[in-house]
Amino acid sequence: MTQDMQFKTIIAQYCKVKPEEMTDDMRFREDLGFSSLDFMSFLGEVEDTFDVELEEEDVLHIFTIGEALGMLETLQH
Amino acid sequence: MGTLILDILEESEKKFSETAAVKWLKKKEIYEISYHEMMENVRAVRKGLSEEGFQGKHIALIGGSSVEWIESYLGIMTGKNVAVPLDAMLPIEDLTELINRSDSEGLFLSPKNQGLLEEILAECPNLKKIWLLQEETAEFSNERVSFLGKLKETGREKEGDDGRPDAGDIATIIFTSGTTGKSKGVMLTQENLASNVHAVDFTVEPGTTILSVLPIHHAFCLVMDWLKGFSLGATVCINDSLMHMVKNMGIFKPEIMLMVPLMVETIYKRLSAASPLIPKKLVAAKAFGGNLKIIFTGGAHLDPFYIDKFAGYGIDIFEGYGMSECSPVISSNTPQIHKAGSIGKPLSNAQVSFEDGEILVRGSSVMKGYYKMPEETEETLRGGWLHTGDKGYLDEDGFLFINGRIKNLIILSNGENISPEEIENKLALGKLVGEVVVTGENNGLTARIYPDQDVVAAKHMNEEKIRTELQAFLDKYNKSQPTYRQITGLVVRKNPFNKSTTKKIKRQEAMID
Repeated sequence: MTQDMQFKTIIAQYCKVKPEEMTDDMRFREDLGFSSLDFMSFLGEVEDTFDVELEEEDVLHIFTIGEALGMLETLQH
Repeated sequence: MGTLILDILEESEKKFSETAAVKWLKKKEIYEISYHEMMENVRAVRKGLSEEGFQGKHIALIGGSSVEWIESYLGIMTGKNVAVPLDAMLPIEDLTELINRSDSEGLFLSPKNQGLLEEILAECPNLKKIWLLQEETAEFSNERVSFLGKLKETGREKEGDDGRPDAGDIATIIFTSGTTGKSKGVMLTQENLASNVHAVDFTVEPGTTILSVLPIHHAFCLVMDWLKGFSLGATVCINDSLMHMVKNMGIFKPEIMLMVPLMVETIYKRLSAASPLIPKKLVAAKAFGGNLKIIFTGGAHLDPFYIDKFAGYGIDIFEGYGMSECSPVISSNTPQIHKAGSIGKPLSNAQVSFEDGEILVRGSSVMKGYYKMPEETEETLRGGWLHTGDKGYLDEDGFLFINGRIKNLIILSNGENISPEEIENKLALGKLVGEVVVTGENNGLTARIYPDQDVVAAKHMNEEKIRTELQAFLDKYNKSQPTYRQITGLVVRKNPFNKSTTKKIKRQEAMID
């Protein structure tokens, strides 16, 4: 599984949209129906799955799947 | 029974001296501090403040939950000073405004928020000292900045402890959303807080583990997780981030937790996603760490559906009701006395009455008033009765129920009270925003905006362009706000809002376009 797909599979646990139907411009709260706590809990899973550490202050400004993926890639490099 | 928080803490120090009072994680290691060690630190802060000339002063705190935060908070309010906890997630201009409006002369600041230092120093000239909440000290070019470690050192060297507060002295000022668009500083006395701690009818074995997951500056968390927990000799564990709540339940294995309904709803979503082939006991052990028996909820109403569902996993949920103005608990279900759907029986120190359906409360936990807001105080406290703004009734067994609201506040299931006017005032600054009303929908906030027709005409804007520009404006606003004040829905209106004869928007008709 690609990292992109692995990432979207985690997202899919919190909403009714299938990973293959997700696009980068989808917004977590408005398009996927995430609550603020869903989002935080999802980020906790991202930390564990991809072995990265996130700071709360940095994630508050992330609204779309593309932005979250971008943040992950930045942390990995 | 003491009427000071200091009495309660000293009693616990005597009874539970070597028991762990607080546990927390640092770089994946668990650290702990005993009741005796914690109280040594609390005394050091209290005496240090006195030595530095802080007596009868207001002292603010900005930061998330940490052992340094709680020791400093207790160090302030067990002496003759007043603690003013602030929400670290607020925009900097709101924080400086609250520091100034609360007349704070000292500030404890989390190292995580050190980036705010420069602006706070510039905007808050009455702040004599800022202590960074860390043990390590370093040289700072500004003499107004120091460290908790240094303050405690000063305190330890000082002989004698200056005076105890009186029961009627203000111990803390907690800011809460106001209906007029300006947050209000709720003044709570020593007796208000101590009597609330005593009146919540719940007891546990010393050393019982509580995982504290709510924001520490909120009255519910501060009084019920921390002060009540300390009164019982419990071990309060710090959840370092909401990102790690589930993981930390596995690490600390709490027996009791305080939550807001949103947390219960989110956990249930994950529980119900588990395969039905896996025994519920195993699912619960993985999700809750294996020892969780009781969840107390408050801050917003919880659908009784979840009480039933969680019982299936061996966890009892007890819903309570309160507000900062009541220190904060007014009524609560308990393991001994409960009724699903109700918010429990009023505490022994709270008298409840009704006026046109509105719940009124009187008793030793009712606040002294709002800081420097005599009109708002008079409006809320009439004849000694606190007007809650909630509608409700007592059933034949004496259980309290809520069935509506009078005040114009939006209550989200994360327990945050949102004043729509406060946000509307900010959104109205957008050039394209003609009229705006903020409503609570789908557990988030929706901005209903009627675009400024002059701007639309001047820029020849079509519907799509208007929506794109308004969304961009909201995104920019959202970036400056804590998540609970962010706008998650946008409705672009075709017509202006219906208005009263005095040209005020009729809020109850905001959905009609």
